[in-house]
Amino acid sequence: MKTSTWFPLAWTLPCALAAWLAPHWLDAGLMRLASEVLLAICMAQMWNLLAGYGGLMSLGHQLFIGVGAYALFDLAQRTGVSPYWLLPLTSLAGALCAALIAPALFRLRDAYFAIGIWVVAEVVALLVSKTSALGGSAGLTLDMSALEDIELFGQMSFWLACALGIVSVAGLQLLMRSRLGLAMTAVRDNEVAARSVGIDVQRVRLIAFVISGGMSALAGAVYFMGGMFLVPSAAFDVNWVVMMLFATLIGGIGSIGGPVIGVLIWFGLREVLATSLGISGGWYLIAMGAVAVVVSLYAPRGLLGLRLPASARRAAS
Amino acid sequence: MDWLSTLINGLLLGGLYALFGLGLALVFGVMRVVNLAHGEFIVLGAYAGFFLVGWFSTVPVWAMLIPVVLIGYGFGWLLQATLLNRAVRSGNVLTPLVLTFGLSVLLRNGMVELFGADSRAVDAGALGSASMDLLGISVGVYPVLMLLLALALFASLQWVLQHTEFGRTVRATADFPDVVRLMGVKPERVFCQVMGLAAAFAMGAGYLLAQRTLLTPFSGVERMLVAFEVVIIGGLGSFWGAIAGGLVLGVAQLFGQRIDSNAGSLYAHLLFLVTLMVRPKGLAGGRA
Amino acid sequence: MPLLEVDNVNVFYGDFQAISGVSLALAAGEVLALIGANGAGKTTLLRTLTGLHQPRRGRIRFDGADVTGLPAEALARRGMAMVPEGRMLFPSLTVEENLQMGTLTRRKGPWTLGAVYEVFPVLKDLRQRNAMQLSGGQQQMVAIGRALLSNPRLLICDELSLGLAPLIVEEIYRTFERIRGADLSIVLVEQDVARACAVSDQVTCLLKGQVTLQGASRDIALAQVTAAYFGE
Repeated sequence: MKTSTWFPLAWTLPCALAAWLAPHWLDAGLMRLASEVLLAICMAQMWNLLAGYGGLMSLGHQLFIGVGAYALFDLAQRTGVSPYWLLPLTSLAGALCAALIAPALFRLRDAYFAIGIWVVAEVVALLVSKTSALGGSAGLTLDMSALEDIELFGQMSFWLACALGIVSVAGLQLLMRSRLGLAMTAVRDNEVAARSVGIDVQRVRLIAFVISGGMSALAGAVYFMGGMFLVPSAAFDVNWVVMMLFATLIGGIGSIGGPVIGVLIWFGLREVLATSLGISGGWYLIAMGAVAVVVSLYAPRGLLGLRLPASARRAAS
Repeated sequence: MDWLSTLINGLLLGGLYALFGLGLALVFGVMRVVNLAHGEFIVLGAYAGFFLVGWFSTVPVWAMLIPVVLIGYGFGWLLQATLLNRAVRSGNVLTPLVLTFGLSVLLRNGMVELFGADSRAVDAGALGSASMDLLGISVGVYPVLMLLLALALFASLQWVLQHTEFGRTVRATADFPDVVRLMGVKPERVFCQVMGLAAAFAMGAGYLLAQRTLLTPFSGVERMLVAFEVVIIGGLGSFWGAIAGGLVLGVAQLFGQRIDSNAGSLYAHLLFLVTLMVRPKGLAGGRA
Repeated sequence: MPLLEVDNVNVFYGDFQAISGVSLALAAGEVLALIGANGAGKTTLLRTLTGLHQPRRGRIRFDGADVTGLPAEALARRGMAMVPEGRMLFPSLTVEENLQMGTLTRRKGPWTLGAVYEVFPVLKDLRQRNAMQLSGGQQQMVAIGRALLSNPRLLICDELSLGLAPLIVEEIYRTFERIRGADLSIVLVEQDVARACAVSDQVTCLLKGQVTLQGASRDIALAQVTAAYFGE
C-alpha cells in the first residue's frame, strides 16, 4: 500500500532536480517563460479542481490571482518583510476570500455561479483601482527593501514557480487518493448519488473552492512578485481565467494530466505564433478562441478524453 | 433638482440597459443558454454601424439602425445554425457556455486585430445633441427616443410571443423541444430564428450605444455583465421584469457615478450582488 | 396495401439492443394494440415509429413510402401523430394554444378546432386556461385533440389511461370509439390488457424487445396474451 501511494509521485524527484539545475542552462528570459508556464499549470489545476471535481465552472478566478498579488504587494509595503515570507499569507488571503464569498455564490448554479464570481472579480478590481493605498489604477511596485540578495531574486522566483507547479500536481494526485478526493470524484460523477451515500456535497464544494482560491492566490502572488510590478488591470484581467478554462478544457477537464497538457499547448501555441511566426499577440487569442469552440463541440472531454478508447471513456466520464 | 436630473437620466440609460438584457433573456428563455458572447454582439453592432455610416454618409444616422438590425439577424441565425445548435442539442450544460465564451474571446480579439483597439463612436448629428424639456429638466432627445424604442420593442416582442403562431411555436419549443417535433416543427429552426432576433436586438442596441459613448472591442465584457445583471435583477422569464431591471440598474449606475466619479460600473455590480443575496428570484420573481 | 409496415426493425441505445427483429403491419382504419410489461420496449418502438429515434436495422414503410430514418418533423407532416406518454402538454400555453400547435403540420382533413370541441365539449369552456391547470383526464383530452388537429392518417397513443381514474378512462375510451374511423389507423399502447384487446383489431405483445405474440384480437384468448406478456 505504501509503495503504491508514493510511487505515482516519483516523477516529482527528477522534476525537482531539473528545476534545481535549470538556472545554469536557462537565461533570464527563458526562466521567466518557464515560471509563467509552471504557475499556469498550478492555476489551471486549481481551476480544474473546482470545475472538474467540484462541478463549479468559474469565470472569475482572476479574483484570486489579484487578491493574492495585492496581498503580497500590500503586506510588503506595510511591513517591510521579505516577500518570500509573506507568500504563505497570500494563500491565506485567497482562501479567506473564497470562504467569504462562498455563502452567497453557492446559491447559484451553472452559468449564474460562473458570471456571479466574475462580477465579484470586477467589483474587487474596481475597488482596488480606487484605493490609493493600493496604488490605484497606476499600480504598485514591489517593496524589496528586505531582500538581502537581489541577484538571487530571479532564481528564487523561478524556483518558487517550479515548486508551485510540482506541488499543485503532486498535491492533487495525493488529494484524489484521499477520502476527500474520493468524495470529490463522487460529487463530480453524480451529485445525487453522492448525497445519498452521505457525502456533504456543499462541504466538499466549499473545501474545493477554498483550496482552489488559496492556491490560485499564491500562484498570482508569485507571478507578480517575479515581475515586481502590479496594476489592477493585469491582476484582475479576465484573460487569466480564459487561460485556465481553455487549458483545462483542451487538455481534459476532471483529470490531473489534462490541465498540464492544455497549458503546454496554450503556451506552445503562443510562443510559436508570437515568437517564431512573428504574428502579434492578439492572433493567438483568436486561435485559442477558435480551438475552444471546436473542442467544446467535438471533444467536450478534452484531448485526453479523446485518446482513451470508447469503453474507458465511458468509465472515465 | 440635480438628483431628479440624475434619476431621469438614469431611467433613460436604463432603457438602453433593458435592450441589452432583452436579447440575453430571449436566448436563455428559449434555449437555456447564457450567451457569453452577447457583449461582443453589442460591440459588433456598433462597429457595423460605424462602418456603414462611414461608407454611406448620405443616409441619415438613425436610418442606419435598420441595416444593422438586419445584419444582426442574419449573423445570429448563421451562428446558431452552424455552431450553437450542436451545442444546445448536446444536452451538456457546459458546452454552450464554453462555446460562447470561446466565441467571445475570438470575436473580441478578432475585432482588435481588424479594427484596432482605439475607441470609436458614431456621430448622431443634430439629433444626438438636441435636448428637450422634461419636468423642468433638460434631457437629451436621443435618450428619450431610445427609452421609447426599448419600450416599443419589448411590447412588440411580448405581443408577438402571445398572439402569433410564431410566438406560440417559440414558447412551445422552449418548453419541450422534442415534443414540438411531433407537430412538424424543427426546433433547430426555431432556435435559429430566436438567436437571430436576439442578435438583432443586441447589435441594434450596440449601434445606439455607440451614439452615446465611445466604444472599443473590449467594451463587450462590461455590457454582457450588465445584460446579465438586468435579466437576473428583473427575474428570469419576465420581459417586463427585464425593463424594470434595466431601469433600476441605469439609475444605480448614474447615482453611483454622481457620488463617486471614477467608479465605473461598481454600483450597478454591487446592486446586482445585493439582489442576488436578498432576492435571488429577482423583481418579478421568475424561475431561478 | 398496409398503411404502416414495420419490417424486422432493430433498435439500439448505444450498445444495448432495445428492439430485436420486430415486424408488424397495419391497414387503413385498423387499430393495433401494443402491449407488454414495463421495459419490454413499447415506448422505444413508438419513438422509432415516430422518428424520434432511428433503427439500426430494418425498414419502416408508411403510406406507401419508405420512411426509415426520417426525422420526427418529417413524419408528422406525412400524417403520423402521437399522443405521448404523460401527455406532454406545453406548460407555457393555454388549452386552445396547445390545440393550435396541432395545426402546424398544415394537413387538410375533417379535424378542426370546432370539431375537437364537439368531441370534447368540456375543453371549450376551459380553452383560455393554462393547460397545466386541468385535471389529468382533461389534459388527456387536450393531448388527443392536439394530435387529431394535424389530421393524421396514423394516430399513436402511448398509455392513454396512465394515472387516470377508472371513470375518466371510461370516458376517454368512449370518445376513442368516436375518433376511430376508416381514414384513421391507430397504434395503441395500453397497460390494461383486457381493454386493449377489446378495442383493437390486432394485438402485438412485446417482451424484452421481441414479439412474443401477434395476431387478430378476436382470435387470441386472454390467457394466451397473459402468458406472452410475462414470457411463460
